Parts: sequence; structure tokens; C-alpha cells
Amino acid sequence: MMLDTLGVGLLGTRTAVFNKALKYSQSFMSYERSSVWGKSELSLPPHYAAFVNGIAVHSMDFDDTWHPATHPSGAVLPALLALTETLPCRPSGLDLLLAFNVGIEVQGRLMRFSTEAYNIPERFHPPSVVGVMGSAAASAKLLALSPAQCAHALAIAASSAGAPLANAATQTKPLHIGNAARRGLEAAQLAQLGLEGNPEILDKNCGFGVYYKDYSPSAMPDSGSGDFKWMLEDQNVAIKRIPAHLGMHWVVDATLAARAKFEEAGENFDLSRIRGVTLRVPPSKYINCPFPTTEHQARHSFQFNCSSALLDNKVTVSSFSEAQINRPALRGLLSKVKVETPEDNTPNFDKMYCEVEIETDQGQTHAARCDTFYGHWRKPLSQEDLVEKFCVNASSVLCTEGVEGVIDMIGNMERVRDSSLLSSYLRMSSSQHQQIYRRRRL
Amino acid sequence: MVIRSYLVKRLRQKTFRPVLAVRGLHQSAVKVLNHPAPEETVTASFGKFISELKPQHLSSLVLHRSKRMVLDSIGVGLIGSTTDVFELALQHCQHMYAPDDISCVYGRRGTRLSPTLAAFVNGVATHSMDFDDTWHPATHPSGAVLPAVLALSDMMPANSKPSGLDFLLAFNVGIEIQGRLMRFSNEAHNIPKRFHPPSVVGTMGSAAACASLLSLDPSQCSHALAIAASLSGAPMANAATQSKPLHIGNASRLGLEAALLASRGLEASALVLDAVPGVAGFSAFYEDYVPQPLESPNNDGHMFLLEEQDMGFKRFPAHLGMHWVADAAASVHKLLVGFGPGTVFPEQVQDILLRVPKSKYINRPFPDSEHEARHSFQFNACSALLDGEVTVESFTPAAISRRDLHALLSRVRIEHPHDNPANFNRMYGEVQVTLVGGDILKGRCDTFYGHWRNPLTDESLRKKFRNNAGSVLPSGKVERLIDLVEELDRLGDCRALLSQLQ
Repeated sequence: MMLDTLGVGLLGTRTAVFNKALKYSQSFMSYERSSVWGKSELSLPPHYAAFVNGIAVHSMDFDDTWHPATHPSGAVLPALLALTETLPCRPSGLDLLLAFNVGIEVQGRLMRFSTEAYNIPERFHPPSVVGVMGSAAASAKLLALSPAQCAHALAIAASSAGAPLANAATQTKPLHIGNAARRGLEAAQLAQLGLEGNPEILDKNCGFGVYYKDYSPSAMPDSGSGDFKWMLEDQNVAIKRIPAHLGMHWVVDATLAARAKFEEAGENFDLSRIRGVTLRVPPSKYINCPFPTTEHQARHSFQFNCSSALLDNKVTVSSFSEAQINRPALRGLLSKVKVETPEDNTPNFDKMYCEVEIETDQGQTHAARCDTFYGHWRKPLSQEDLVEKFCVNASSVLCTEGVEGVIDMIGNMERVRDSSLLSSYLRMSSSQHQQIYRRRRL
Repeated sequence: MVIRSYLVKRLRQKTFRPVLAVRGLHQSAVKVLNHPAPEETVTASFGKFISELKPQHLSSLVLHRSKRMVLDSIGVGLIGSTTDVFELALQHCQHMYAPDDISCVYGRRGTRLSPTLAAFVNGVATHSMDFDDTWHPATHPSGAVLPAVLALSDMMPANSKPSGLDFLLAFNVGIEIQGRLMRFSNEAHNIPKRFHPPSVVGTMGSAAACASLLSLDPSQCSHALAIAASLSGAPMANAATQSKPLHIGNASRLGLEAALLASRGLEASALVLDAVPGVAGFSAFYEDYVPQPLESPNNDGHMFLLEEQDMGFKRFPAHLGMHWVADAAASVHKLLVGFGPGTVFPEQVQDILLRVPKSKYINRPFPDSEHEARHSFQFNACSALLDGEVTVESFTPAAISRRDLHALLSRVRIEHPHDNPANFNRMYGEVQVTLVGGDILKGRCDTFYGHWRNPLTDESLRKKFRNNAGSVLPSGKVERLIDLVEELDRLGDCRALLSQLQ
């Protein structure tokens, strides 16, 4: 999860939203500074480093997804890395791993307090609800706060939770993760200074319960007792192959399969021969976008991802550029796509499926169905493919030394003595090294 | 006036919907959402309104009322700078960030911070003692807006500082937007149960005010609101704790941040205020939600909500609900001691019955902290019974732990009559004291002095300000501030005001 998060974060430092946030964040001054991923010569106050790096992670909707639905790592890792660079006593790799897992675990526990959380959201964007709590918990752990202070950190963080779903599919969505990371860290630091909130914040319906229609909290089992088991052991995360909302992955896999059948039938794949395409997907308004105009909308559009897959026989990072989105051939295909929402297709990442049916002008149909895409927790990416994704993402920004340094360090994290060194690899941008090389040659 | 111009506008548009136009003043925007033209959405109408509102739209009543709010808010912020929570917030900002010689911190000579951080700490100060203004529907509007507008004014270059009128315009935009948003929901009319209103509408108001001061275009103003929506919302459970003041501090800070991000081109949902089934925007914070578009002020002027609904100012630093029981209990105190000075002895009292609206977070029989005491019907009733009034000093640790007070607290019973709704416009407070001898003394308050139905006089407001500001500033600055705020709409450059705050 850490490796994947760093890779997507590094790639994300090339986005417009990251740059806007970075410029804004540079207006703040501080004594302590933390690294900005992919930037060799910049640093920011730790809160804002967590902010921009978190934004980078979610900027292309390429980060991990869990069940119940949220993007757990992006809210936690940027905060922790920013913190490791400021602590007088540098945390070990094991300290970092433990804090990270606390942040993930807390998110998982909180989501299970509500049945509403199990389905694709409609009101609040989950990372903005549980993400900030995870970040606060993880930061509190790394700061070694007392139990009371940890509770107050959660209470303070609860007042920073909750962003409406309407900002998904817009340029502001990545800020939900950036803010979760930043404000969770801040909550922990305020608790460290002695700020207090409601010690029963998780118990009350007027506390954390406000973010859910049904809310039924249960106590955490004692970590020392035999009852405690990490949620991550029972429920893995999904790692994305495409920088788009998780729902798109089913669509793309099904579309590619249907397209292949078309070709197998001995016909050359000719777009003009397509009369119509029917998608059978779960009902979810914010990912049903027939004619997206921005990259953010395109990443949240069943129709767009299907059309892209049909047109190019693949969907990749470059499929979402403005030029690609506006291709006449693509727009033409979009107008042929119809969406249906069968009753048995629940808006739930554990149960949904996608069916694609292509109808030709001669009345033939080629259909395929995807129940579990490659990368889903039921069919996880192989270690090789995970590392490959990281390499492709990271090397767009880092030099080889940086890319390999990160892979190495993450792979051996339990034995690392100073985890803040990870940030130094993340700063090894290739442009910096090209400059040094050029200077040497002269 | 407004109905006529609205109908005329509707007739001019190509897409004329006769039924809805005849129905009345406003139309729900839900119907337009199948294929909304940008200018027809509620969100766009708000962005346009913020951008188009100009100083000439401010009537003399709005100017008068909003200047009272500015004065009270500054005073409350200044005394708030003496609290522990303010100190903590300031320390936090100074630890995490380096000194940044830009925006003033209330009451701290020479201390300046980055604009959003100054807005944060000054907002915390404003709400730290629950002494700030309260409106109907319920929220604390000024604390979320004024610190941000002040911080932003400090940030603007020396040769283009806002005039006093620009400042007041931005401030009123921030208040107006909050009022308009609260009217989208019936839930907002009652004492809150889920989200703390300043954390919901306050952030939006701050964003609107800052967008106005930054002269953002209509689209940027809309985006500022949408970005702010993702920064809104804190649960009621943190009210009556030390974290509550941060709700206002954060509302101010994050609204300013939203406007600054929008000014850099960050974009967000174009439908954040509209009601879109299946995807919640600002509606996420309410159970019932019916948004209404805002008319352009250029059409026929604009009637500010502040003109229709005045502000409540507090006479002592506690939740608004406390003011009813305090006034009721004070009248009983007077009966007990006659018309001269005297002491109420707990031994005289057998039983105290409070008849108040039902609201869990202000029903605290034995408050443990100053924050809880400010949110306790029982505590405020007994304090007023004992002392004849509730003041700033009633919440010190010594005062909270008085034996006499505890003796009285243990004799309190609470009832929630059906005719006493949890609503600041309709509630009342009754205090019934049964003496040991059997005599029963009653006090009732329907409208406390300071409520919008019985507003503080200008003189009372200034007296409150002098007490508050004088606890931190020399009297010369205190008087200067009173004068400056009074002439704020005639001030060519708001720097004069900014320089007196510390």
C-alpha cells in the first residue's frame, strides 16, 4: 500500500491541482520543514507538505481503495512522512509501519459502525470522514501521545471531517485527501498541546455519528488480548490499474473482453459498425456522466471509460488528457452508450459487476461481463505488477536512484533505522540529477 | 418590489415556466437540473450575487446594524485573547509556523501571523467564551467572518487597502450568505442537534466575504463556496468542550483559504448548493433541504436579511439559551433580597424548578468545566439566583466551584413544557423557587435584554465593548476603536482600524 501510494503521489505532482495547491502553500513560513514529493529544492511547513502530497496521491484517482469504500492510504502516509522529518528522535521503519497500520485500522473500524458505509457513497465523501480520523490516529501514534490525548486527537479531528460528495468528479476532490492528512496531523498536534474535545466523540450520534444515517459504534478490543485482529488481514485493498474511480475498472475489463469477442468473430474492429453499446452497472449518480468535459469528470464516467476502451483497446494514464477527452471519434462513441442499472447490481464494491453489450449495425451483439477486475481484493495485483506500476509512475518524476531507493526501503522497512530517509529518496527528481550530470560534463 | 422584478425577469427569459412564476417569490432550482444552463443554478446565482454586490446596495439600516456587530465582535475577540484555548491555538500556530509579519492577532502587540492563521486564532478568541453574537436561524455569524476579513485586509498591498465601505460590504456579504443558506432548511430554525451551525454556514460566509473583498468574478465566487463546502461541518458533540471555539476559528480560516484557492483557479462543483438527487452537496449537512436562488442585486436593489432579522447580542459569556433563565432567575433574586443589596442563602431554598426547552447539550446539572458551565441551564439559573446577575466572572474556576452554588445546583429540577420549543425565536425560561417556608417565587423571561426583539441600546453595547476591550487594551485605543467603527463607512482606508486591534 505504501509503495503504491508513493508511486501515484509522485505521478500526481505533475497535475494542475497539485500545482495550484503548492503555490498556495508556499505562502506559509515555518521553522520546521518537510519534503514535497518529487521536488528536490522545495520544502513546506509539515502541515502543508502533508496537504500537497495528499492532494498528489488522490489527484488522478489512482490510489488504493478498500471495502467498505474509502481511499485509506492517501490520508495517512503523507501526514506520517511529513511528521517523521520533524521529530527530534527519528522514527524507525517499524515505528512508521505501526503508525501507518494504526491509521488504516482506525478507518476500517469506524466504517463498520454504519451499514451506510458499505455502499458507494451519496452524501459525504468517505476519505473526508474516516480519512482525517485515520490521519489523527496515525499521527498520535507516531507522536506517542497518551491514551487520553489520543482520544482527544480523534475528537478534534471529528470536527474537521465531512466533505460533501458533490465535489467528487471535480478538481477539488483531491483536496479531500490532502485535507484529511493535514487536519488529522493538526488534530494530533493540538491534542499534544493539551486541547480537549469530547471524550465520547465516537459514542455519540451527535458526535462522529452525524456523518451517517445509521450509526452503531462498538468498542475496540484490547490489542493485547487474543481478540484483536487487524482488518487488513481479513480484507485486502484494491490497487488500481487505471487512474479513475474504482467502478470504472469493471467497465474497462468488461469492455475490453467484449471488444476482443468482436475481433474474434473474424471481423475487423470498426467503430463505424457499432450501432449501440449498453452498459449494465450499479446505480450511482456521481459516476454516471454521459458527456464529461473535464479530466475529473472523465475519471468518474462509466460511459467515458467504456468508450476509451473501445476506441484505444486500453485505458491508461494518458487517456484522460483534454485532447483525448475531446476527440471527435470518442465523442461520437459516447453518444452511442446507454446505461442500465439492473436491480441485482448493488452499488457496493464487494458485490457489483459490469456487463457490456456491443451491438453492430448488422444486428449482432458481442457481450462480456466482469465480476472481479484484476487489482480488486479478490484478484490482487501480483507483486511484480505492483512494483511495475510504481516504477512507471515514479520514474516520470524521480531519477533511477530515487525509484530504486524507495522500492528497496519499502521492501525492507522493518529493518530501517531512520524512516525519514524515505523522504530524501522522494526528493530525487530526475531534473535535478540531469542538472548535476550536465554540470559535471562541463 | 422583488416579486415584480422577478416576474419581469422570468418573462424575458426564453424558457418561461408560467406555473412556477405565478407560484410566488422563489422557485426551487431542482427542476432545472436535468439540463441546467449555468446561469440558472442556485450555485451560480450565489456566485453572481457575491460578485455583483456593491457598497451602494448597503442601506443605512444594514450599515448601522452591521457596525454594531463589528464592534461587539472585536470586543469579544479582544477579551477572548485572555483565554486558555486562545493561548493554545496561538502557541500551536507559532510552533508550527514561523512569524509572518502580515495579519494582526487580537490583543497581542507585535504578534502577527499568516492571514489564515490570524483568522484562525482571532476566530477562536471570538468564540472562546461563547460571548459572540447569535442570529435566527441559529448561528454565530460575525466570528466566522470578521477575523477573515480583517486578516485579508492586512494581507492586501499597502497601496490598495480596502476602504471602510469595502470592508463593510465584504462583512455584510458574509453575513447575508449565511442567513440565506440557513433558510434552505427547516432543521436550521431550531437549536441544532447534529452539526454545529457556525461550522456549516460560517465557513461559507467567510468564503463569500473574502471572495467579495478579493473582487473575484462570479465563477470564482461560486467555486470559493464549493471549495468551502468541503471544509464545512463539525459535530455538536464538541460544543461545550474546549474544541468548540475552534469551530469558528476554522470557519474563518478555511473560508479565507477557499477564497484564496479559488482566486488561484481551483475549481469545484458547479452544483454544490443545488439539490441533486443521489449526490449531496451542501445538502449533506441537513435532513431537509430546499435551496433558493439569489436575485442579482442590480435588478432592483437587495433586501438584506439583517434588515428583516436583527442580531442578538449577549450580556454575559454563555450559550444564548442561558440568557432566558438568567433573566428569570435574576428577577427571583430581586424578590428574595428586596430592593436593597442582600444575599441569597441556599438554606432558604427548598427546590428550584426550571421550565426550559429540551436540548441535551445545554442541560447539565453539574458542569465540570467553564465550557460546560456556559452550556448549563442549571448553572446559569443558580448563578443568577445567587448573585442577581451572570457576568464574565461567573465562570472563573473559583466561581464555578463555590459551595453555595453547588448547594443550589443540587436542588434543581428541569421540566420541558410542550409549549417551549428549542427555538431562539419562540422559547422562554421560567424559574420557580420554592422556599423552605413554603413560599413559591416565580420568574419568567420571554425576551431577554439583548435578544433581537429587545436589542441592546447603542450605549449598552458600547459599555459591553469597553469592559471587554478594556481588559486588554489601553482606554485610548478602546475609545478610538469605538469611533473608528462608528465612522467605518466613511473611512477611506481601513488601516486605521487594523492598527488599533493590538
